[in-house]
Amino acid sequence: MAAYSIKTRVIAAIVASQLLLAAALVVVGVSYTKRRLQSALDTTLHGRAMTAAALVRYEEDNTSKLIFDRSLLPPRLDRRYPDLYRVVVTGAGVLAQSPDWPPELRPGSKLHWDFAQAGVPYRAVALYDVPILDREGPPVQPEPTLSIIYAVPAGQMHSEIMGAAAYLALAGLATLSVTVLLALWGVRRGLWPLERLAASAKQVSTRNWELPEKTLNQPQELAPLTQAMKTMLQGLKQAFTQQREFLGNAAHELKTPVATLKSTLQSILQKPRAAEEYRAGMEQALEDLARLEKLLLWMLRLARAEQWASGALRRDLNPIDVADTCQEAIARLNGLAESRHVDVRFAAGGPVWLSADPEDLQLIWTNLLENAVRYTPEHGQVTVDLERVDGCARVTVADQGAGFR
Amino acid sequence: MRVLVVEDERRLAANVARGLRENANCAVDLAHDGEDGLFMAQSNPYDLIILDLMIPAMPGAEVVRRLRAAGQATPVLVLTARDEKEWVVKLLNTGADDYLTKPFDLGEMIARAKALIRRGKGHATPVLRVADLELNTVDHTVRRAGRTVTLTAMEYRVLEYLLHRPRAVVSKVELLEHLYDYNWEKFSNVIEVYISGLRRKLENGTARPLIHTLRGQGYILRD
Repeated sequence: MAAYSIKTRVIAAIVASQLLLAAALVVVGVSYTKRRLQSALDTTLHGRAMTAAALVRYEEDNTSKLIFDRSLLPPRLDRRYPDLYRVVVTGAGVLAQSPDWPPELRPGSKLHWDFAQAGVPYRAVALYDVPILDREGPPVQPEPTLSIIYAVPAGQMHSEIMGAAAYLALAGLATLSVTVLLALWGVRRGLWPLERLAASAKQVSTRNWELPEKTLNQPQELAPLTQAMKTMLQGLKQAFTQQREFLGNAAHELKTPVATLKSTLQSILQKPRAAEEYRAGMEQALEDLARLEKLLLWMLRLARAEQWASGALRRDLNPIDVADTCQEAIARLNGLAESRHVDVRFAAGGPVWLSADPEDLQLIWTNLLENAVRYTPEHGQVTVDLERVDGCARVTVADQGAGFR
Repeated sequence: MRVLVVEDERRLAANVARGLRENANCAVDLAHDGEDGLFMAQSNPYDLIILDLMIPAMPGAEVVRRLRAAGQATPVLVLTARDEKEWVVKLLNTGADDYLTKPFDLGEMIARAKALIRRGKGHATPVLRVADLELNTVDHTVRRAGRTVTLTAMEYRVLEYLLHRPRAVVSKVELLEHLYDYNWEKFSNVIEVYISGLRRKLENGTARPLIHTLRGQGYILRD
C-alpha cells in the first residue's frame, strides 16, 4: 500500500465525510421540498376541482338540465400549458371537459396521480360524489352528484424542485470548500509539532545526540514518542561512545607492538648483513608478530565481552570455581615465572562459585599475572589472593615491581 | 656520542639502540622504567635522551620535567603513541625538544637524533669544520684539505666528539663518558690509541697538527 502523507489522509477523510453529508443534505432537502410543493400543488388542485364543481348549475329555465359555466373558470395555472378537466354527472355522462382532454386518460387508483400529456408532466386529482352546489334547481330524486377530474401542469413544480436541489448542492459545495480550507489549515497546524519533532530528529548525528530543547513544549500525544526517542538516543550514544573509545584504545594499544615490529624490520634493512643476521632478524620479527597477534586476540575477546555485557549478544553461563581459573592462569605462566626466578603464590579460602566464562577470567588473570611477573625483580614474589567479599569474588594480584604511575 | 634510551618495551629499546649504534656511531645505554631513566640521566653526561612517555614507575613527562628542573639541558626526543595537538604542545612546553609518534620510522628517528645532538652542541649544519678539516655527520665522511680520510668507527666517534667541541679542552674521562656506554672504565687506556691513529691519518706527515695534547688535562682541537 502506498504511504500517503498524514495530511493527505486526514484531508481525504474530511472531504469524503463532507461530500457524504452534502449528498445526504441534498437528498433530504429535495424530498422535503418535493413533498411540500406537492402538497401545495394538491391543495391548489383541490381548490380548482371544487371551483369546477361550483361552476355546475341548473339552467335558469327551471328544467333539471345541468350546465357548466366555462367562462368563470380560473385562469390556467401555467401560462404555457392549459389545465385539463372533465366533469361527469352520475348517471348522465360527461357534462364538460377541456378542449384538449386526452381521450385515453383514466383516473388513477389514488386521489392524486401524475401523468404526462404530450411530454408535459401533469398532476391530477379525481373527486367523486361531489354534490351540486346550485340549490335553485328543481328537486330531482335521486339528486345527481358529480365526478371531477382536474389536472394541472406540474412542470413548474418540477423546475422548482430542481432549483431547490441545485441551491442545496451549491450550498453544500460552498460549505465543502470552506471546510476543506479550514481542514487544511487545521491539519497543518495540528501536525506542526510532529514536523518540529521530525526536524529535531534530523539534527541528531554522531556529533550531537541530544534532541533540541524546543521539542519540550509539545502535545501530550507526542510525549511517549519523544521519550522513546530520547531513551533510544541515549542507548545509541552509549554504544557509539563505547565503540569509539574501544577503537581508540585498540589503536593506541597496537601502536607500540607495531612500532617494535617496524623497528625490527627496519634495523635489519639498515645495511647489508650476513645470512645468519637476516635469519635472526626474521625470527625476531616473527616473535614481534606473535605478540601483536596475541594482543589482537585479547582485544577481540574484550570487544565480545563488552557486547555480552551490553546485552547485544547472548550466551549461557554455568557456575564455575574462580579458584580453578586462577590456578590455570598461574600454571600457564609457570615458564616465565621460573625463568625470572619469581615465586608465584596462590591463596584462597575455598571455592568461590561464579557464573562466568572461564576463558574470559583466565585471560584477565593471565594478563595481570604476566605483567606482575615481568615487572617483579628476579627472585621476587607475586601473590594471588582469592576471597569472597559481600557476595562478590575479589582477586588480588600483588607484585613487588616498581608499579605504574 | 652517548645516548640514553628509556623504553619499557625491551625489544623496541634494543632496536632503537641497534639503529643508533650502527648508523649514528653512538654509545647507547638502556633504561626500562622512569626511575632508572631519571637516575641514569642525572648521573651520566648524555648527548641525547630518547624517552618513551608510557613507562612504569614514572611517566616520561615527569622525567623530562625533573631533568629540566635540575638544570639539565640534554636534548630529549620523546616517543609517544599519542599525537593529539594539545598533548604535543604540553610535551614541548615541559621541555622536550622533539617527538616521534609510534610506529615511527627508524631512519627518521636516527636523523632526528643526529640533528638534536648537533643542535645540542650548537651546530646548525650536519657538516662540522675546523680549519681545513671537514666531517659530515650524514654520510660519516671526513676530509682534510679536500682529501678523503678513512677512519675506523671508534676513531670517527672520537673525532666527531672533538669537532663538536672545537677549541675546548676535552678530558680523557669526558671522551670516555661520551663514547662508551655504562662500562666505559675498562676502555680507559684505548683513547691514546685512537688519538694517535687519528693524528697519523689526519696530518699525514705534511699538514699542520690539529689535535693537541695538554698534559694532565686532555686534548684540544684547534688550528
